[in-house]
Amino acid sequence: MAEPAITHRARIVPRGEQALAAVTVLAIVGLVVVPLTRLTWVAVGGGGSSIMRVLRAPGFGTAAAHSLELAVLVPLLAVPLGTGIALLLRRPDVPGRGGLRVLVVLPLLIPQFVLGYSWTQAYGRAGFTDDLVGVRWTGLNGPAGIVVVLVVDAAPICYLLNTVGLATRAQPQLELAARASGATGWTALRTVTLPLLRPVLAAEFVLTFVATLESFAAPQVLGTPVGYSTVTTRLYTDLAFGSDPNSFRDAVTLALGLVLVAAVILVPADLVLAPRLGSRRTRQSPGGTALRRRSAGTAIMAGLVGAYAAFAVLLPTIALVAAALTRAIGLAPTPSNWTFDNFRAALDAPTRSAFAHSLQLAVLAAFALTLLGAVLAALERHRPGRLLGTVAMLSFAVPGSALAVGLLIAYDRRLGGTLTLILLAYLAKFWALAHRTVSGAVDRLPAGEWQAARTSGAGPIAAVRTVWLPALAPALIGAWLLVFVSALHEVTMSSLLYSTGSETIAVAVLNSQELGSIGTTAALSVTLTAVLLAVVAPAWLLLRLTARRRDIPAARRRELAHAY
Amino acid sequence: MTLYTCASANVEQAVVTAFEKAHAGATVNVFRAPTGQLNARVAADARSGGVKADVIWACDPLTMHGYDSQGLLRAWSPTNAADIPSAYRTPHFTGIALLYMVVVVHSGAVAPVSWADLAKPQFRGTVALPSPTFAASALGLLGYFASTPGYGVTYYKQLKSNGAVQVNAPADALTGVEQGTYKAGVTLANAAYTDRKKGSPIEVVWPRPGGVAIYGPIGVTTKKDVSPLGEQFASYAASGAGQKVMAGQGTYVTIPGLGGPPLPSGAATVAPDWPSLFGSYSSVLAKYTGIFGG
Repeated sequence: MAEPAITHRARIVPRGEQALAAVTVLAIVGLVVVPLTRLTWVAVGGGGSSIMRVLRAPGFGTAAAHSLELAVLVPLLAVPLGTGIALLLRRPDVPGRGGLRVLVVLPLLIPQFVLGYSWTQAYGRAGFTDDLVGVRWTGLNGPAGIVVVLVVDAAPICYLLNTVGLATRAQPQLELAARASGATGWTALRTVTLPLLRPVLAAEFVLTFVATLESFAAPQVLGTPVGYSTVTTRLYTDLAFGSDPNSFRDAVTLALGLVLVAAVILVPADLVLAPRLGSRRTRQSPGGTALRRRSAGTAIMAGLVGAYAAFAVLLPTIALVAAALTRAIGLAPTPSNWTFDNFRAALDAPTRSAFAHSLQLAVLAAFALTLLGAVLAALERHRPGRLLGTVAMLSFAVPGSALAVGLLIAYDRRLGGTLTLILLAYLAKFWALAHRTVSGAVDRLPAGEWQAARTSGAGPIAAVRTVWLPALAPALIGAWLLVFVSALHEVTMSSLLYSTGSETIAVAVLNSQELGSIGTTAALSVTLTAVLLAVVAPAWLLLRLTARRRDIPAARRRELAHAY
Repeated sequence: MTLYTCASANVEQAVVTAFEKAHAGATVNVFRAPTGQLNARVAADARSGGVKADVIWACDPLTMHGYDSQGLLRAWSPTNAADIPSAYRTPHFTGIALLYMVVVVHSGAVAPVSWADLAKPQFRGTVALPSPTFAASALGLLGYFASTPGYGVTYYKQLKSNGAVQVNAPADALTGVEQGTYKAGVTLANAAYTDRKKGSPIEVVWPRPGGVAIYGPIGVTTKKDVSPLGEQFASYAASGAGQKVMAGQGTYVTIPGLGGPPLPSGAATVAPDWPSLFGSYSSVLAKYTGIFGG
């Protein structure tokens, strides 16, 4: 029951849209093209010798294979997981739905730099489960552990995108019609719901693929004990010895290699595949959910999601909180060893001002990118616009350290040491997150209604407010959330671009990590998560509300449910 | 003036505050980051108008040799050079802080007498070793053993076949031993003593032939309009007064007798041959990664 793909007709582009396109092109050039070009100059600076040196270095092939293996496996697991959970938690008859929703999203709020530690503490040798029941996971150190931790980290993003997707794309009437015509729940899912979600699923695959390709913390912490290296861990080593110019060039070359791999996947996916995935709405009836009858299956599935949440989210989080509260590493986390010293150390005056800077930057980046992401998504209705979307994704594929170097070389003379330079880095890095979240919803924009609004006298602003905003609200809120969280967690770029007076929370994180005080780092992470929760919870509620408004009115649902 | 450093935040801040207090009107802008980020910042500077720091205070001599070979450091010696052992001085930079790589064991576990013991059966599968591809201090250790008769890179082969586990930073080895994940680990003495004081269940061991010393050097850059405060700051940090401030923050320093963390009587110290390691580190590293991966 898939609907026909969008057809693109030649049309006259209005002047407003031309201006938006010009601004977007400028932003792409400034945020993506210029820094990437600067990096390319660095890489070819030694006469291009670094390319051969990198390719011929012992272990490079293995590391590249590891990076690819992770980048393929993680989306293959995370996307179905996030989708499955979103589809399940969409059902109003799921027991404990509210609590499960919060638990499933929680990993998003826990910074990546403590993810490896909290898992080791929960399941490693002498960890929680080992101490309590004598069970430990020997595979945690190694590719299996890295995949699981990255999947748990990516699943909430997929879940969030699916929630947005279901809110803007699902057509419960079609699902009910399918069921009424005798289709099983699985057939209705396969032939109605999933085809409607295709653009969202594609966005999740692409985002997770690229994010895994450039992930560093999990491979570093869990891969090192078994000698499992990736392109990003090699890049780190090259940078650690980067006072040797050749070593520095090698690091930049590796970063550009990741961009190249991302481009090879993205260009065909965006230009060829993506246009075939969209679907127009049949009439204005998006989102929401159809009433299902309670079944034993629902309860079992809810139990499975609950078990997942307990193992993948709750235990590692408890391990983190315990580390933050315990007086010294290695002591049992019992009340006699509890202390707030770690929190006091983590929240000294400089850190508080760094918190303020980080919050300010994250809010600015979230608003700016929600806007830029929406504009880019709107421009994607034409082929050149889709190319812009692909280019904007490339800076997401550059490891933060390299992107920061590119931005420093390009803009340090004018913006060096300012918060503006850090903001630019966030805009460059996270644009793709916002864009891909919104782009899964734009093909559902009611074009006819826009024209109707304009012809009946609404100005462009009124038309945007009354026609586009309501249709896009869940996607815009989702984009805002993802950028806000990512910006607040960002460590690598901020710690390279800051100066006296423009410190961000990243500086405090690195200071405490360097001192080896896992207690302070854990306390910082817990505080960060609490701050995030305070900001994110209202936004999340808003997302739920805007999504719910799309539900079919209860009376109509009952009527439809009784019809079959 | 601007200072680029990778020294611990508490140590660097204490020295900066003391210097600003002693020099009315002086302000020090600090960029503090781990070595990798420091290198990236210096490399970006070099490509956008030259290094912006007046003073660089690194955590290991290898990094400083790298900057020096790029012509980023000018000839400079602190006024009290004679107080600092010559092993920690070059014409362009001078060691002010010291790190010692030692062994920590979980309370109650057997302590090694020599480094070679870690490769013996009683430590099978229970030793955590920081990776020299991650931390310069671990590379210093590797450099020392690679050129020491009776050890060599073979020592790492023995450790590997005895089930030693590679972790990232020396701090990770310390955490692992404290939590009981490993019985023994190679880490930095100052951090181990700090945690022990807080109550972590560990013992610090200085195995024979000795704790391996890694010095943290400071130098003045070749920045065009270098601030006169630059030399003053570097000299202050190297001075007895400056090093005493550092020792007060729990750091070993290069002038003997100024205090700092415990250095048990009879604890010997040894050091890698840094200038020769600068020329050979990539081949030594390649041999190491051939054994431990990464």
